[in-house]
Amino acid sequence: MKKIYEKPVITKIQTGFMNKFGSSPYYARKIRKDIDGVSIDYLVENFGSPLFVISEKKLRQQYRKIYNSFSSRYPNVVFGWSYKTNYLQAVCATLHQEGAIAEVVSAFEYEKARKLGIKGENIIFNGPYKPLEILEIASAEGATINIDHFDEINDLEKVAEKLGKKLKVAIRINMDTGVQPQWSRFGFNLETGQALDAVKRIKAGNKLILSGLHCHIGTFIIDPEAYANEVKKMVQFKYEIEDNFGYSIEFLDIGGGFPSRNRLKGTYLPPDILIPPVDEYAEKITNALYENLRPGDFPKLILESGRAIIDEAEYLITTIHASKRLPDGRKAYVVDAGVNLLFTAFWYKFNIEIDREVSGANEPSVIYGPLCMNIDVLDEGTLLPPLERGTRLIFSPVGAYNNTQWMQFIEYRPNIVMIMEDGSVEIVREREDLTDIERREKLPEKLKIK
Amino acid sequence: MKIKQFIKSILNSYSEIFFLENPIAGLLFLLITFINPYLGISGILAVLSAYLFAKFLNLEKEFLESGFYTYNALLVGLSIGYLFKFGILTLFLVFISGILTLVFSMFLYSIFSYYLKLPILSIPFTVISSIIYLSVAGYTNLFIDALYPHFNILVLEEITPQFLSGFFKSLGAIIFSPYVFTGIIISIVLFFISRILFFLALIGYYIGAFTIYLFKGSFYNVFSDISSFNFILIAVALGGIFLIPSIKSYFIAITAVITSTIVLSATKSFWSFYGIPVFTLPFNLITLMFLYVIGIVGFPYIAKIIRKTPEETLDLFLTSQKRFQGTERGIHLPFAGEWTVWQGFDGKWTHKGQLKYAYDFVITDENGKTYTNEGLNLTDYYAFRKPVLSPIRGRVVKVISDLPDNEIGTVDKENNWGNYVVIYDERGFYVEISHFAQDSIKVKVGDWVEVGTFLGLCGNSGYSPQPHIHVQVQLYPEVGSPTLPFSFVSFISNNEFFSNDLPKEGEKIKPAFADRSKTNKLSFYLDNSFIYEVFIDNKKIDEFEMSVKMAVDGTFYFDTGKGKLYFGKANETFYFYRLDGFDEYLKDIFISAPKIPLTSEKNVIFKDFLPFKLTTSKILKDFILFIASFNHSVGLSKYEGKTINEKIIEGKVYSIFSKKPILTKLELDDVFGIKKIKVGNRTYKLKTINFGG
Repeated sequence: MKKIYEKPVITKIQTGFMNKFGSSPYYARKIRKDIDGVSIDYLVENFGSPLFVISEKKLRQQYRKIYNSFSSRYPNVVFGWSYKTNYLQAVCATLHQEGAIAEVVSAFEYEKARKLGIKGENIIFNGPYKPLEILEIASAEGATINIDHFDEINDLEKVAEKLGKKLKVAIRINMDTGVQPQWSRFGFNLETGQALDAVKRIKAGNKLILSGLHCHIGTFIIDPEAYANEVKKMVQFKYEIEDNFGYSIEFLDIGGGFPSRNRLKGTYLPPDILIPPVDEYAEKITNALYENLRPGDFPKLILESGRAIIDEAEYLITTIHASKRLPDGRKAYVVDAGVNLLFTAFWYKFNIEIDREVSGANEPSVIYGPLCMNIDVLDEGTLLPPLERGTRLIFSPVGAYNNTQWMQFIEYRPNIVMIMEDGSVEIVREREDLTDIERREKLPEKLKIK
Repeated sequence: MKIKQFIKSILNSYSEIFFLENPIAGLLFLLITFINPYLGISGILAVLSAYLFAKFLNLEKEFLESGFYTYNALLVGLSIGYLFKFGILTLFLVFISGILTLVFSMFLYSIFSYYLKLPILSIPFTVISSIIYLSVAGYTNLFIDALYPHFNILVLEEITPQFLSGFFKSLGAIIFSPYVFTGIIISIVLFFISRILFFLALIGYYIGAFTIYLFKGSFYNVFSDISSFNFILIAVALGGIFLIPSIKSYFIAITAVITSTIVLSATKSFWSFYGIPVFTLPFNLITLMFLYVIGIVGFPYIAKIIRKTPEETLDLFLTSQKRFQGTERGIHLPFAGEWTVWQGFDGKWTHKGQLKYAYDFVITDENGKTYTNEGLNLTDYYAFRKPVLSPIRGRVVKVISDLPDNEIGTVDKENNWGNYVVIYDERGFYVEISHFAQDSIKVKVGDWVEVGTFLGLCGNSGYSPQPHIHVQVQLYPEVGSPTLPFSFVSFISNNEFFSNDLPKEGEKIKPAFADRSKTNKLSFYLDNSFIYEVFIDNKKIDEFEMSVKMAVDGTFYFDTGKGKLYFGKANETFYFYRLDGFDEYLKDIFISAPKIPLTSEKNVIFKDFLPFKLTTSKILKDFILFIASFNHSVGLSKYEGKTINEKIIEGKVYSIFSKKPILTKLELDDVFGIKKIKVGNRTYKLKTINFGG
């Protein structure tokens, strides 16, 4: 094939200049020819491109690693799978098989969990917006409801009256744990005494039984010490409640927010160095528990880790559709997936791997998505060797939030496959076609084009 | 009332010769002795004389309750009545012999029970009777009665085949009535009261007799020797009384009988030189010797509580003792999460000799490895720096915390135990936990710790080739003291919950700590009362109330007026202990879940055993228990439960004799109490709770 002519550019090459992590940035490249032994070619040929690929093996491994890290340190640990992170049925079902219960934040997610076969008693219902109807259903089905505000206390008391029984509930609290921003919009603030007021209010109403505390200090928290502060304050508050109000706080839900090995934009160090290992979080959290809990008291420790479990188990395969040279001399590639599919591209700098060996020096390159929109940029500047059209780029980790926050915008959404532990490949969500998108649309008769 | 008690005690002493406690059988045996009136009178008189002397010593209560004081005197009386002709002088001899037997029995009992922890059986009888037989050699005023004819049904003697008459006569000889017809009566009585005893009497006799035959070569000789009753007594005592009836105890009984043959022959040669019978000497010698040895080697089937018949002893053993396995030194697992047993009791590396009662734990992955990567660094090991929790409540008595963690491939040979904690448990033992990480121990000497208190982190100090937790129970606080057997309470292995047991090497186990919420639901207080509606196939048939009451010993029970269902918590388990009285509804509650693990773990199975009387009819029970003595699992009603979730337990009750299992379901309320119970087609629904007080 004849090579397409390309205007020459001058790239500054600093020979002999090594970065502090070893290899020369001009010839380093990451090659990935397969995922769990299934070749990228095979995947694209059979399921198309772009393609989301979930590794069942990696998902289970990651879950077990994080779960064991806590359960080998504390005797009463339960994981609540945060549905909003990725509520594909296959993902939820895998994690439920591993023993996680469901953590939902809306009527939609609640219904999704129920439809999957999860019983109400195995669902934690969080969030600031729980309409009365779903609150009633969830209460009757025995879900754990973490109250967000005073109005919800009123609502739940109505529900309790209607159901004719006292309801076990928990409250969400927020606090200063030393990290910024402080998520103070959710739950009752501890330091100002609002949380204590909520307990008093519940006690005065005498229709609810307070049996747990919930807190969620933020997301992508890279300082394990913050969790130690959270746990310490929660345990102290637990005993304040137990000693003064006679309630028995049976669980402490410390939320999630553990980071994955993804690289936040603007961080200098790679995630392998920046992100503390999960064992460090587990050690800090359990030490704080042992230091503050009374001997022999093991309230259930609930964790709602989402990102840290799923993120690294999913990949996005894309194909280079075109390449161009930008006026500033940078190379640009247009790939078949954009921010419509990779919502998290707004804050992550992904790990990008190439599906084949390529020769040539790396040069600064920009990766654009297929949308006819200026914001559709997957990477504003990365070092890549010259790549041919048709080359596949594999983005990772993409497991968290993309399959829930992606949008049908300009393009259809592609297949999602799961590589099973036995090496087989299953489609877990089919690519969309026009009927999916127009199914709910109604065209008024007079507008119909005859 | 007192007279009735007195008569009952006297009658019991006759049945106790055959290890039974049954006044009716006693009365029959008493009548048998009166076939020869002199015999009968001497017997009674000896007991009375002993009783009177005991009363003089203010011991009449102990005397009547003991059994062994009475039957020894009785046997001595019978032996005198059997040998000597009736007369005032003979009566006087009986009288003083009764007192002598009492004094000797008390003397012997005091020594035996304190030093040997053994019963005295009929040693006083053997000794005193031998003394009397020896002493009378020079008393010419006494006449040997055996020279005079006795009443007998001779026809029976003639028509009974020799091999049968030998057995019957030997049986009769035990109460000095060595006649076929007395033997037949005793056989019938034994058979009706206890099949196990009768069976043991038979095999004891014939195996002993056959062994003697092998030596002597003459059946006539063997079957005409009435001292063979020793075989019967040995077989009965070992096979069915002091040991739990089982194949193993039967085997021991048979072995003892065979070995006793030479003892019997030897005693006879020696004793006959002085012209006295062997009495029960071989029986006492062999039985006590076997019992003592079986006791010190820790044989599992020793009857701790002896009931009226072997069948009842077996029932008690199977139902209650089988329910509560493990040891009294039950400790919790010293960690959280799933660990693997690396080395157990009598392990292949270091748990040997005095230090054999110890456990080592490591963490393994799916591939059975204890480390990730190459395993060259301490941090590669899953167990390294994992929390170590107190397995007991007690006081910390020793702590060493400053030894370094060995790099992989090296061990500290100077300080075998590494960093360790020793905790004193008020049940009377010390728990030692070893190989903590350097400076990780958070408790200090004098601290009081509860089960689950954080002690420190798992490390690799001391004689430790890889990070692991070592735990042992010992008698003294010093490290290296002799270890004691112990067991672990409340753990889960392979999805099965164990209340008190020993995991095997390689087994993956995790502690099952009680869940607060579940514990609260099952915390019943005095005067709480519960009204349940009873449904059969969804049709309401009844309603009943049960309230929590306390017994004098501090245990609690549900009371319906008709029955008392005892319950309590032990080893992180809620138990229904037993049902007194009879109440269909309480019975259903009992069998719906005889125990409830307090862990919140789902899909965990657990096994239990149910008292026989709850599941089987009386007639069937006697028959089954005889069969069950050969195979204990036959005599058990088993319960297998499964925790569906934190609130629901599904179970099934079955035994070999039930065609299909009874299905049960128990559902706890969201807040307090048992909300719903289903047993077969009967359903109980909680209607109201009255908290009382």
